[in-house]
Amino acid sequence: MLAPGDPAPDFSLARLDGTHWRIEEETAEGPLLLTFIETDCPTCRLTVPYLKRLAEALGPSGHRVVAVSQDGDPETRELVEAYEVNFPVLLDVDLHASRSYDPPSVPALFLVGQGGKIEFSEVGFHKGDLNSAAEKMLSGLGLPVRIVADPDDGAPSMKPGCTSRHLESVGASEAVDSAAAAEPVESAWAVGSADALPEPIDLRPERAPRASRFTLAEDEDPYEHCMSAGFSPFLPVVPPTAERVDAFLAAIPHSPDRVVGLVPPCYGSATVEKIAANAVMAGCKPEHMEALIPVVRAACDERFNLHGVQATTHAATPLIMLSGPSAARLGFASGAGVFGNVARANSSVGRALQLVMANLGGALPGEIDMSALGNPGRFSYCVAENHEESPWEPLHVELGFGQDESTVTLFAAGGLTEVSEHTARTGAGVLRTIAATLSMVWSWRQCGRVDAVVVLCPEHAETLSSDGFGKSDARDFLFEHTGVPLRAFDHEGTEGTQLRDSYEEVLMHGEPHYRKFKDPSQIRIIVAGGTAGKFSAVLGGWLAGAEGSQMVTYPVKW
Amino acid sequence: MSTLVNPLDEPSRDRQSPAPRLDSLEGKTLALLDISKPRGKEFLDRVEQILKERYGVAEIVRESKPTYTKPAPGALLQRLAFVDGVIEALAD
Repeated sequence: MLAPGDPAPDFSLARLDGTHWRIEEETAEGPLLLTFIETDCPTCRLTVPYLKRLAEALGPSGHRVVAVSQDGDPETRELVEAYEVNFPVLLDVDLHASRSYDPPSVPALFLVGQGGKIEFSEVGFHKGDLNSAAEKMLSGLGLPVRIVADPDDGAPSMKPGCTSRHLESVGASEAVDSAAAAEPVESAWAVGSADALPEPIDLRPERAPRASRFTLAEDEDPYEHCMSAGFSPFLPVVPPTAERVDAFLAAIPHSPDRVVGLVPPCYGSATVEKIAANAVMAGCKPEHMEALIPVVRAACDERFNLHGVQATTHAATPLIMLSGPSAARLGFASGAGVFGNVARANSSVGRALQLVMANLGGALPGEIDMSALGNPGRFSYCVAENHEESPWEPLHVELGFGQDESTVTLFAAGGLTEVSEHTARTGAGVLRTIAATLSMVWSWRQCGRVDAVVVLCPEHAETLSSDGFGKSDARDFLFEHTGVPLRAFDHEGTEGTQLRDSYEEVLMHGEPHYRKFKDPSQIRIIVAGGTAGKFSAVLGGWLAGAEGSQMVTYPVKW
Repeated sequence: MSTLVNPLDEPSRDRQSPAPRLDSLEGKTLALLDISKPRGKEFLDRVEQILKERYGVAEIVRESKPTYTKPAPGALLQRLAFVDGVIEALAD
């Protein structure tokens, strides 16, 4: 792959409109951002809207953002139309330009300076790289510098791409080179059904239409209207009157039509205004939006996989965990009764997320939300860490944020199982009892693809700390001591039994066990709750890892 | 008299009608989309056999989702665009 300092090889390619485009002519006049893409690469599709944003910021120089498609005309045209691409797209049908720039994967970005030298090259999706490329382009052209990739827009900060077509196997690239003419599947798609396709969804819209407003008849009860209109069919809400919503919007430093995220599984646009309307209904105060907006970002983050969490028959639902000084400032409770009706902030922000998920994400119980049992957390599931009573670093510091920063973390949690341990006098004693409950997470014989949050009450945390346990020591101890004895696998056909070959067998407490967790990172510890009562809790997750739901953290900031 | 702000999603896209249903399976090309739950293959092998033997299905295309927890990738759906019908199959 060509590197900074290399001369950018000259090439000439056809644009979609048939005209020819030559790099030498373009770089004579100014810098270029050249991006090689494949039309079916999800990472390339993730990148395109950011390139659009840069082209828009460049104004009359927007044509200096250029994409080189490694696919044929029909596929490229489909992408250009679907994303309303506003910059030139070239067709590298025989892949000769791709070969001369030789990226291992796409998207591949090359910033070519005026005069034709490569100033920067990178593969994959990286928000930081997009922003630095934008900065160089904009400042080079004397334009105001602008962030094109907002770190908190819900998209991951980085995502690897796909193998560049010129490095794919010969057979595959020949099929591409011949514009898929010999491939019945491709040609049927390209020729037969292009007209019948529904309009593709813009995956990264920045703005969405304002919410509609309507006036109730004089004799209509607004509370009953909210229930019958499906705003919250299962529990009364505060009516989202124009006055209340406008008071929220006045307190938020964002435009009402700004899209914070698209809420799976139906991908409704969570604009600032729609979130505010749902927050009003949940009983939030305007200042709670500072926490709720990042909560919605986290819920829409693809790593969290809200689509799966909402559609599964399991009982998981997002547990919100606040960490850092903003939690107390905004009125979130972290002490006695933390999982119950303890503070307006906890109850209303947790409920607001649930309303956003139902009203904008479209998952209603018995329809798309197919949970067999549901979960009381689906009313509200929101706690803050008890920093004052914790002997250890808080969750947000453990995750790499500064002590003075604050975060919201979402974990797809099932129900809460309390663990009483009032007589153990040692840290190991407390942890052994918790490990026994952890071994039951998901299902007794299911190991490996499971994760859990352990909520330590202050008294247990104190016992552990006095006994020399740091937070990571406690987690490692739980990892090492949580297992399922082989003798439990005495009934063929029971869940988890069929996966025994994938489990790790270890000697635990003098007896052969399978390890419950694959890695200590599948156990997360927070300290919360009141100072009296030696009750901690285990909250099992949904499916762990990239194919299930991953814990996601966003900073609390506007 | 209250003016309320609509808290529900208000999609700007037109509603799509479902694809027309098949009158018969005879001579058709069907896809079986395995959502990748355990033992899906065994289940779908049997479904494929029944569709061919009893219903005269001409051809069966088999595809699998990478994971049952997420929507099928666009490229996979595109590969299935040419068939007459798709059966998306659970297992467990």
